This record gives sequence, structure tokens and C-alpha cells, in this order.
Amino acid sequence: MAIGMGLGIKQAATNAFFPLSPLHLPFFLRHSFLPFRLHVLATDIPRSSAFSSFGTSSVNIMSWPCLLRNGYGRVQMSGRQDIIAISSWNAAPCKSRSVVAAASAETLVTKKERPSAGNSSAIEKKDSDGPDRTSWRPSIDFKWIRDNKDAMAANVINRKTAADVEKVVQLYEQSCHLRGEVDKLRAERNAVANAMKGKVEASKREELIEQGIQLKERLAGLEEQLTKISELLYFEGQRIPNTTHPSVPIGPEENAVVRKQVGVKREFTFPVKDHMELGLALDLFDFEAAAEVSGNKFYYLKNEAVLLELALINWSVAQLTRKGFVPLSTPDIVRSNVVEKCGFQPRGQNTQIYSIEGTDLCLAGTAEIPVGGLYMDQIVSNSVLPLKLVAFSHCFRTEAGAAGSATRGLYRVHQFSKVEMFIICCPEHSEAFHEELISIEEELFDSLGLHFKILDMATEDLGAPAHRKFDIEAWMPGLDRYGEISSASNCTDYQSRRLNIRYRPVSEALAVKKVKGSLPPLQFVHTLNATACAVPRMIISILENYQQEDGSIIIPEVLQPYMGGLGFIRARKL
Amino acid sequence: MKGKVEASKREELIEQGKQLKERLAGLEEQLTKISELLYFEGQRIPNTTHPSVPIGPEENAVVRKQVGVKREFTFPVKDHMELGLALDLFDFEAAAEVSGNKFYYLKNEAVLLELALINWSVAQLTRKGFVPLSTPDIVRSNVVEKCGFQPRGQNTQIYSIEGTDLCLAGTAEIPVGGLYMDQIVSNSVLPLKLVAFSHCFRTEAGAAGSATRGLYRVHQFSKVEMFIICCPEHSEAFHEELISIEEELFDSLGLHFKILDMATEDLGAPAHRKFDIEAWMPGLDRYGEISSASNCTDYQSRRLNIRYRPVSEALAVKKVKGSLPPLQFVHTLNATACAVPRMIISILENYQQEDGSIIIPEVLQPYMGGLGFIRARKL
Repeated sequence: MAIGMGLGIKQAATNAFFPLSPLHLPFFLRHSFLPFRLHVLATDIPRSSAFSSFGTSSVNIMSWPCLLRNGYGRVQMSGRQDIIAISSWNAAPCKSRSVVAAASAETLVTKKERPSAGNSSAIEKKDSDGPDRTSWRPSIDFKWIRDNKDAMAANVINRKTAADVEKVVQLYEQSCHLRGEVDKLRAERNAVANAMKGKVEASKREELIEQGIQLKERLAGLEEQLTKISELLYFEGQRIPNTTHPSVPIGPEENAVVRKQVGVKREFTFPVKDHMELGLALDLFDFEAAAEVSGNKFYYLKNEAVLLELALINWSVAQLTRKGFVPLSTPDIVRSNVVEKCGFQPRGQNTQIYSIEGTDLCLAGTAEIPVGGLYMDQIVSNSVLPLKLVAFSHCFRTEAGAAGSATRGLYRVHQFSKVEMFIICCPEHSEAFHEELISIEEELFDSLGLHFKILDMATEDLGAPAHRKFDIEAWMPGLDRYGEISSASNCTDYQSRRLNIRYRPVSEALAVKKVKGSLPPLQFVHTLNATACAVPRMIISILENYQQEDGSIIIPEVLQPYMGGLGFIRARKL
Repeated sequence: MKGKVEASKREELIEQGKQLKERLAGLEEQLTKISELLYFEGQRIPNTTHPSVPIGPEENAVVRKQVGVKREFTFPVKDHMELGLALDLFDFEAAAEVSGNKFYYLKNEAVLLELALINWSVAQLTRKGFVPLSTPDIVRSNVVEKCGFQPRGQNTQIYSIEGTDLCLAGTAEIPVGGLYMDQIVSNSVLPLKLVAFSHCFRTEAGAAGSATRGLYRVHQFSKVEMFIICCPEHSEAFHEELISIEEELFDSLGLHFKILDMATEDLGAPAHRKFDIEAWMPGLDRYGEISSASNCTDYQSRRLNIRYRPVSEALAVKKVKGSLPPLQFVHTLNATACAVPRMIISILENYQQEDGSIIIPEVLQPYMGGLGFIRARKL
């Protein structure tokens, strides 16, 4: 320890105020620094052995993580300071989740029991000392659906999903009517109860008691009806997909509109090989052994492919951290109700989701799920929006129903690593952030030297949560076609209504005033997600596009520092 | 009964034939039953034990070596939970809602630290000639059994996937062993040295108490594992090599630890001999296991059916079948290069400063873009 500190001070003397790059200058101006700390940014990164695993020269890596500690894009969650309860609007840490729970009574969400979708188990029972997690209801704005039912019905037709807007509207009307009746009866019952207080004649009393009993019975009957209608209403209601952005092309996959093309197809002077052929010749993967050990569509990565995977992950996380996204490493096991709240069907037919035996747990198919879960049931402070996160996780997908040669090799697999961007913001800004996400993806893939097109996906291809979805398809010469390497969705409030993530749209000034009467009501945030790097698809793209005539692969320049300066993947001389 | 036989003799023979057939069927049935019982009981027999292994319970483990010394603190030490929460490095509370207890999110610098640890370990071992491998985390349950684990036993460490015969691997040992199962490995490639990067899922059923707070015992974590396949004569030497690699890795991280020769009751069925490394964790005020190196001799290879033919290359080329020695089972060894959560605990607790910030071990700094400290943000 002493040695480490000593070195630091010594180097500070020689490298005192020399920033590593102009990028850091604004931060020096914004925040005060001790010379010792400046040293950290100017540290001469040991060049000798750290990265040169293959004996080639190593390259400096910009100290992008320092941006985290320089106040750029950090979410301070210790003591849950970004979660502000209704009662206190000062900056003091407030851990009161109970206040948050009470606040949720404001919305349409009722806490009534719903037929539980998941199974409890020994493992779950040991953990659960909290609320019943199996029953939940999305916060659907039925009134809005009713008022816009024609547009909603047209939307359902365009998306070709199984939802019945008409039925939902009917059920809603019924439930409103019943609710009115129930309220009336309750009022009557209360009146009768009040009438019985104080001095009342014997005969009158009996009459009142009789009335009371009848009212109670009728009330019980109506309440039971209301519960049933309510359940049906939510069952039908939550099948209704998100609204659709007006610019989204209508129809099937083929109707997607190309927004932009970046780069051009590379001209090959020799016959191209696909990634399987290239990879097997270079001993980069083993699908055969994986089929024995785990089954089809599993794989081992070997040798340089492992280094490539790690390089891709590190590079993506570094790039996004530099842009102010907060890095996150998520659990890959999640409760099934969290999966449902994100718009997936863990126990549906042809489900993409693996479930864990004997529990209500599932394997997450994407980091979107645990990241969404991180904020569920929270009221997010307006001051921390937008929340920008970059999550690194391992995705498990059953790929049930996907077959054929198009899914050979790494193209469609049961498990892979992925770096995902996630944004939580206020509604007015989600469209702008969607554009930001797609332009970040464009920048990432362009700097990898790939040729790709950006598509505005058509209505039938959106998936229930997405209001609008941009996909990027990269040219894969070995497969002789474009293949999806990323997807950026604006889910508006579809997920947040299910995950119950809200904020209060006030300025900081107003917030401090604490005049309760004039505070605007809580609103649902908008959520967006976008793939920064899906490792297998990137490996395909790199192998196939960067192949040389002799079967070796050039490594994209931006990744070389993350592979210890390695420039090529070459066949081993036996 | 073939050929010319008298009628009466023929009948006698037919009668004999029938009786023999019945008796045979009966005996074969018995043999099957005994055979099943034999294998059921037989496979419960643990591996042989190295003569130097101390006999008895956990406490009887022998300290082979101590490296480094406990750091002197001039201020009250905090444990990794307190340090991490103050620096906004993890979130256990939200994970308990999303997934359950003993799950966690890593945030901010902790994510970079995790990636740095993985990259650094893989780089170090690749430099030493280990072949890097990235394994599936889902494996068939019979492969799990062949490695010596019990996927469906009570208090099993293994999660199973509903509706399938698949499980989540608790360690890379399993898919790596599976990579070579039912194979005859060429003598010329031995020893096979692999460094595997995987995500481990463990139920930790039956583990409770304060000793398992925070990152110490979790359901999911990343791990870099060394795996060696070699011929029997060399396994002891490779065991020593593995433990000295581990010693070098943890020493260069600046940790203080002891290397233990684990006692017989602590070995686990597959291990012939097991060395554990326990690092000093000042915040927990005790030593905590950060790695384990086992020599499984032929226990796993007999189950995974991994064999080789002990010939020299010259003899092999001759292809004189009569004079070739018979196939033999290889020996397998495995050792933890880096179990991320335990390393994070060790680093946070040992490198903490009075103001709650953490110095990052020098060897990891290049893998974190030169970051030297984890400090709290000024609000």
C-alpha cells in the first residue's frame, strides 16, 4: 500500500497538471481537484507487459472511467437519493419505500389478488418476507383507450396482434357503471349505519337493520361482479400493444423503410467464406462438443475469439461510459413477474424465456429486464432524469420456433453476452433520445468499419412494447445477406406502466417550495433500450468482413488496444 | 442340435435348452440388478486421497504457506458492504426485489473492476500458455453428474431448467470437462491447459448466516478457471504449478493470504488433494476463501470417459497394433484464477482509505483505463 501511494506522489511531481486529453478539460474547470487526483489522469500507463500477450506493441487507453468520478453522468443511489418520496422534497436521503408504496394508491392500480402466474417454491419462500410478488396489474389508461378507440383499433390491426379494443372498451364501461353502483350502495349503507346511531325507536331500528342487511348482500354481490369484470378488463387490456409513432411504416417485415446506409459492401477478389468455415479453420469455436454437452445452438469460443469477445465488451462499455452512461452489471436470473412487466411472456407457448425448475425465477433474455426491474415501483427524482445506463449481461433465449439454415452457427444461439443501453426519461424527450441512441449505435458500428443499413421497422414487426423501433442490419458477406446486429426501441410508457416507474414533472425550484396543493401529479416515465453490442453477431460481422484470402482475419483498429495490440487472427502453424 | 440327431436325443436336448434358457434369463436379471446396485454404491466411493493430506475436519487443514502480512490500519475498518454502498458500487436491495436474496447489481467502478479482473486474469494465463475458452453456462444434467456433482440431490448447488434435462453450471469445470468427454486425446497435445471464463450459478441451499452477507455468498458470479488435462505421472507436478500460479496472481494483486492443504472431510468426492487460498478480509475480520485448486486424478475422467494412449510419437506412427499399450484415463485438475465477488471483497476491504475511497491495485489500473482510485462523488 505504502509503495502504491509513494509512486503516486512521485509521479504527481513530474506529471502534475497534464490532462490526458482535451476531453477532460471541461471537468477540471467544473470540479476542484487535488494535485494527487490530477496525477491519476496523467498516469503514465505501464506499457510493457500488461497488454502484449502476443508480443506486439501495446497502446495507451484513455482514462475514460475517470469521467464517472468527475460528476459526469453518475447516478448517486446510495441511500436512494434519486428516489424521493412525496413527503419530503429536500435532498436528504430517503429510504422510505413504504411511502412510495402508499403513493401508488393514487393510480388505477389496485392491489386485488390476481390468479397467480408463477409457482412459489422452497427457494422463493425462504426469500420472501415482502409483498406478494406474483400478482400485479399494469397501470392502463382505459379512459384514454375509450376516448381513442378507433385509433387504437386501427393500431391493433396494423400490428396484427391478438387484442380486442372493442371488448376492452365495453368491459371498461361496464366496470365504471358497476363502480358507480357500488359507490351508491356504499353511500346508502353508510347512511343507514349513521341513522342507527343515537336514539331510534325499536320498530324503526329493526327496519334499519333489515335495510342494512339487504344493502350488505346487494353490495357483496355487486362487488363480486366488479372483481370479475375488473379481472377480465385487465386481462384484455394488457394485451393491447403500445401506440405507434405516425412515421412507422405499416405492414409486414418487408415494408421496413431504410433510413440510412453507412459504408459500402467490400469488394472481394477471392471466394468469401462464412464465419463458420473461417472460425473452424482458425480454431475459434466448437459447436460439436457444445451440442454434446448442452445441445444445439450452444457453443464454446476459443483462443482469439475469447479475446475478441472480451475486447468487444470492454470497448462498448468504455465508449458508452465516455458518453455519460452509467455502467451496470446485472443478474441474469429474474423473477417471472418482472419478465412479464417488461412485456415478455415467460410461460407462453413458443416463449423465448427459460424458467428455473421449482422456482418463480427465469433466465433473462436481455438486460432490459433486470435494468427495468432496478427501477420498478420507484418514483424517480426529476433531477436525475434522464437516466442513462449501459448494462452488461448474458442473455439466454430458447429460440423456440426458429429453425432453418439462416440460423446456422453463431447467428442464432441460446446464450450470448450483450451490452445494452437503457434510458429512462420524461415523455417529452423520448423521441429525441431515440434518435440519440440510434446515432450512438451508428457511430459504434461505423467505427468498427462495418457496412450496414438502419431500418425503421414496420408495424407487424414492432413487438407489443415498442412505439417505434430502429434495427441495424450489417452486411455479412459470408452469409451473403444483411443480418440484424442491433435494435433500438422507444417503449414510451408501456414498460413503465407495468414496472410502475414514475416521476413528478416539477422544476427543482418548485420542488423545494413544498406547496403540496400546487404540485403536478405523478406521471409515468418513458423507457428506451438499444443494443450496443451483441457479441455473436459482431463476431460474425467482423470475421466475415475482415477475412483475408489466406483465411486470416484483420482485427478492427479500435479493438486492437483491447486485445493487447493484436492485429491479426492467423492460423496456427502446426 | 445341429446335424443328425436321434428323435429322443433331440427332445432331451430341447428340454435341456429350455431349462438353460430359463436359468440364464433368471441369472441375467439378477446380474442386471446387482450391476445397478454395484454402480450405484460404487460411484459413491470418493477419490483416493494423497498421503500428505491431513486427516479430519476443516480445522485440521495445514497451512502450507503464508504470503504477505495483514495491513495495519490507523482508522476503523469498514466491510465491503459499507464501503460499496457509500461509493454506490452495488445494489442488493433492488436485486432482492427483481431476483431474490443473494443477487446483486454491480454499478459504476465495480463493473469496470469486474471487467478488469477478468481481462487481467485471462491475459496473465494466456501469457503462460493456457488456451482461453468461453463456455456455455447451460449444460445437460448428465454432464454435471459426470463431473461429480448431484443436480437433483437434496441441498443441490445446481439450478435446473424447467421442462428440460438442462442445468445451470456452477463452475466452468463442468463445461470444460464436457468439452473433452468421450474423447481419446492424442498424447502429443498433453498436457492440455485451458483458462475458461464463465458465469457460475449456485443455489447455495443450506448456506445461511451473517458469514454470507453481501458479496461473500451469492447465487451468480463470473469466474475465470484454470483446467489441466494431463497424464497420470504429471498431475502432482501440475497441481504444484497451479497453486504457484494462483500464489503469483494474488500476490501481484497485493493481497495477504494463506495457502491451505485441505483436510479429508473437506475435499469433496472428486478431489485427491485440494489446496485452498484464503485471503485476509479486514472488514470481515477473518480469512475468506478466494480460490481452490484440486487434483481430481482420474475421478472425473473415468466418468467423462477421457482417455489417451501412453505412447511416444515414434511408436504411434509405427501403428503396430499388437504392441500398443492400452488406453488409459487422463488426470484432470482445476483451479480458480479469479472468482470476481471474492476478489472485489478482498480489494475493497484491503485497499480502503480513511475517507472511504479505494486504491485500485496497480496491475489492474491499465485495465481500468488508468483509474487509480474509486472515490465518492462530491454532491
